[in-house]
Order: sequence, then C-alpha cells, then structure tokens
Amino acid sequence: MPGGCMSGGSMYKLLAIGFSAGGMPLASGILAALPGDYPLAIAIVTHLPAGQDSVLAEMLDRVSSLPVAMVIDKTPIQPGHVYVAPPDYHLLVENRDRFALSIDAPVLSVRPSIDVLLETAAEAFEDSLIALTLSGANSDGACGMARAHELGAMTIALSPLKTDFRTLPDAVLAAVDVDYIADQDEIIALLCAAGECA
Amino acid sequence: MAVIKWRNHHLEDIEIALLLEAMKARYGYDFSNYAHASLKRRLKQLRDYFDVPHLSHLIPSLLYDERVAQVIINNISVLASDFFRDPPVWRYLRDEILPRLATFPRINIWQAGCGRGQETYSLLILLHECGLLDKTRLVATDINVSAMDEARAGRWSARDLDRWRTSYLAAGGQGHFDDYFQREGDTVMMVEHLRQKVEFNQHNLVTDEVFMEAQFIVCRNVLIYFDDTLQERVLELFGRSLQRGGYLLLGRAENVLQSSLAGRCFQKIDAGCNVLRRTAEVAHAGVAHVEVAHAGGLHVGGQHV
Ligand SMILES: C[S@@+](CC[C@H](N)C(=O)[O-])C[C@H]1O[C@@H](n2cnc3c(N)ncnc32)[C@H](O)[C@@H]1O
Repeated sequence: MPGGCMSGGSMYKLLAIGFSAGGMPLASGILAALPGDYPLAIAIVTHLPAGQDSVLAEMLDRVSSLPVAMVIDKTPIQPGHVYVAPPDYHLLVENRDRFALSIDAPVLSVRPSIDVLLETAAEAFEDSLIALTLSGANSDGACGMARAHELGAMTIALSPLKTDFRTLPDAVLAAVDVDYIADQDEIIALLCAAGECA
Repeated sequence: MAVIKWRNHHLEDIEIALLLEAMKARYGYDFSNYAHASLKRRLKQLRDYFDVPHLSHLIPSLLYDERVAQVIINNISVLASDFFRDPPVWRYLRDEILPRLATFPRINIWQAGCGRGQETYSLLILLHECGLLDKTRLVATDINVSAMDEARAGRWSARDLDRWRTSYLAAGGQGHFDDYFQREGDTVMMVEHLRQKVEFNQHNLVTDEVFMEAQFIVCRNVLIYFDDTLQERVLELFGRSLQRGGYLLLGRAENVLQSSLAGRCFQKIDAGCNVLRRTAEVAHAGVAHVEVAHAGGLHVGGQHV
C-alpha cells in the first residue's frame, strides 16, 4: 500500500469515511469488523434524512467495539474513537488534534458534506489519512477523494458493482485514480492491515 | 539558500496570513483568530470568485478597493440562518427560560451575530406570543453592516417560508406564522410592529466592548467560527455583560466549558439545548461552580468519549 509501514505503530492516523444512500449496512459491517484496539481515529459523514441523522451515533455504537460520539465543536481527535458529524453541520478537520464544525452553505445541496470532511482531513493529515467512500446517490465526496489522493492519502472506493447506489462510486472513479477499488470484505482487510501496519 | 519544496496548501496558509494582516492593518478587521479550516475553505472560494490564480493576488485589490474588502468580509462572516432553527431549542426557551426571565422587572436581551435577522425575529415572535414584548429591550448586533441593513428591512425571499413555518410549528408556535409577514411578490416582509421592537447595532466580538447589562444573551453558531483564544475573549465579554443569574444560549453543537477559564462563570442548565446560567463573580476571576457537561464529545451508549 502507498507509503508502506513504519515502526512504532501505524503511519495512518485518521480514517475518514463518506457515504449516503445504501451505505449504512456497509458502514455498520465495516465498523463491526474493526477490533477494539484499532489505532486510527475514524470520522464519518453521511447524508441521512432529518430525524435518522441524530440517532446515527447510537446506531453505530451498537455494532462497533470502538466508542462512537457525535462531534461537538473543536472535539479532540483521539485514536480508536469514532466521530460522526452532527445533523446539519459540516464536519471539518481543524488540525491534527481537533475537529471543527460550520454551518457554511451546503455543498452539492448537502450538509454535512463528504467533500468538506475529506478536503480538510487531507490538508491536516496528508499521507497519514485513509479516505474511504462507499455508496451514494449524490456525487458529493468525489472532489474530496481527489484532494486526498493529491496530498498523499490512501484512497479506497467501494466498487460500483457492489451497490445499487453507484452515483458516488462512479463519480469518485471518474474524478481520481484511487489506490483501491474494493468490496466490503476487501475494505475491511485493507483497513485492518493499515491499522496493524507496524 | 536551500530550496525546500513546499506543498501548495502550506503556501496558501502563508497567503492567508498575509491577506488577514492586510485586512487588519487597512480596515481594522482582525480575522486572525477565526477557526482555520473553514476560513481557508471560504477564502479559497473567493479566489475562484475573483478569478485570480492565487489568494495573494487579492492583497493589492483589497488594499486599494473597499468593495473588494467588503466582499471578503461578507464571505468570512457566514450569514447562514433560519427562522426557528432547531425547534426543540425554541420550545425549551418558551417552556423553561422565558418564564424565568419573566420574573425580572425588565428584560434586556443581547443577540450577538444576528446576520440577516431570521433568528432575531424568531425571538421577537416568541416574546410576543409569551406577552413579554413590552418589558423587553432587544439589541441585535453583528460585524456585518450590510447584513444588518437587510435585517432592519426585515425582508427575505418567500422561497423558505414553508420550511420556516414547519419549524415554527415544531417549536410550539401558537399563532399563524404567515400573519407575521406581508407578502410582496416573491418576498416576505416582517410586520411593522415587530420590526420596531429591535435595535440593530454594529458590534465586533473580536474588538468591541460590553455595551449593556443583559439578562439573556443569544449567540448561536458564531463561536464555532472562532479559535480557543477568541472564544475565551467572547465568553469573558458575555460574562461581564450578563447579570448574575442571567442566561446564555449557544448553538446546539457548541461547547465552551471544557477548558475555558471564562466558561467557569457559567453553569450548564440544559445539555441538549445548550443554555448556560451565569453563576460566578466576575468572569476573569475564574472562580465558580464548574459543571463540565461534555468534555470532548457527547456520551453515547454509556461510553466515555
Ligand atoms: C452562521 S451565522 C449565525 C446566525 C444565527 N445566529 C443563527 O444561528 O441562525 C454567524 C454570524 O456571526 C456573525 N459574525 C462573524 N464574526 C463576527 C464578529 N467578529 N462579531 C460579530 N458577529 C460576527 C456573522 O456576520 C454572521 O451573521
């Protein structure tokens, strides 16, 4: 994988995941498969209908052995924790230590926006970021993946063949030459390997 | 000299620092303590808007052309707002906070960061429906003068009316939302008797001082745009403006209690709605009942985050 391994723990520090339609079962499956001592911080942005978005953290917390929290402005980024955007706020990575929120205009008519998360995560973490997009009915996320790739992050896209909602994966593959096009099991294997990479 | 290869986005950070320095030196607006990531995103949009290859190209323009500076200020001060945004918060104000405020002989309210006024008039509607308008003085402030001109006019596109009405009803509104507006083509205008009940004044939270003793301060979704240093300053300001026992309403996802000294003058009374009560002595004395409500993240499923 790009960058290879370094001694003294994973060289990857943040995993940023974006999805919309059809992505919830995939994301749940991936989170459920990550071990309780997973060393990366994980940030998640998804577009859910109002109402469902506020219970996202609880839903993921039920399946994951990692603690899941909804981000409050300037929440510290801690390894082994899962963070989700609060409804109707963009989630940004302020720097390597903190998240930030904004109510700037929606991007491609969505807030939170996957692009906003991935672009700011890429600038803060560069090659210690893993950027992952799953399924979706909106192309939000493609620009963010391109930026992540440009700044040296590992980029993984769900294969468009593995979902009924392929607008997002198709847009990602059109925008950027990602490192991996993978199905759910392969994604899990890649993420586990990146976590162990020592 | 050794030439080190710089990544463009690090160079952009230098450009941003220079541009902000020019804004400060020329116009006195200091944005250097704004939260960096969102500021950078918005400034990069300006680069596209003005169609220049690099942000630093805007420095001579802003120095010599006030209109360019105004566009930059408008872009930095995010004007997103809605009537009755987060309905449960407004319901909580109606049920819990206004009855407590009603016990004060006079109610002075400072709404900081009023933008185009949607939130200001939401407050007025609420005060009106609770019968408190006559004993209330409402002062709404913002850094952005042109936005406040729009707020004063009380006119918006009718496009959002359906959404606002839905929020109003969810917030427990007791009248007919549309009765608060006059319709004119594709715009709606706030009725005269509410427009007269508010004073709009320019006030910059970065540099300006306390100007009133308030029993209630409303400042939502402004502190998210500030870094720790600036948040601390603003909280200290609010602490000095608020009468002891007065209330401060912040945005739903804002958190100020975790480390800030000024935050210690406040006690959270409702975690979900983010209403704080002014408890201690003067803000900078840093004494008080500290109740750290959520350090670092919301607790979900019993796990401490
Ligand atoms: C995102 S809007 C929030 C509007 C409203 N409070 C709400 O939550 O719906 C942020 C507002 O803060 C204002 N603002 C930004 N910097 C400021 C400053 N230094 N002093 C006063 N207001 C400021 C902006 O002009 C804008 O109107």
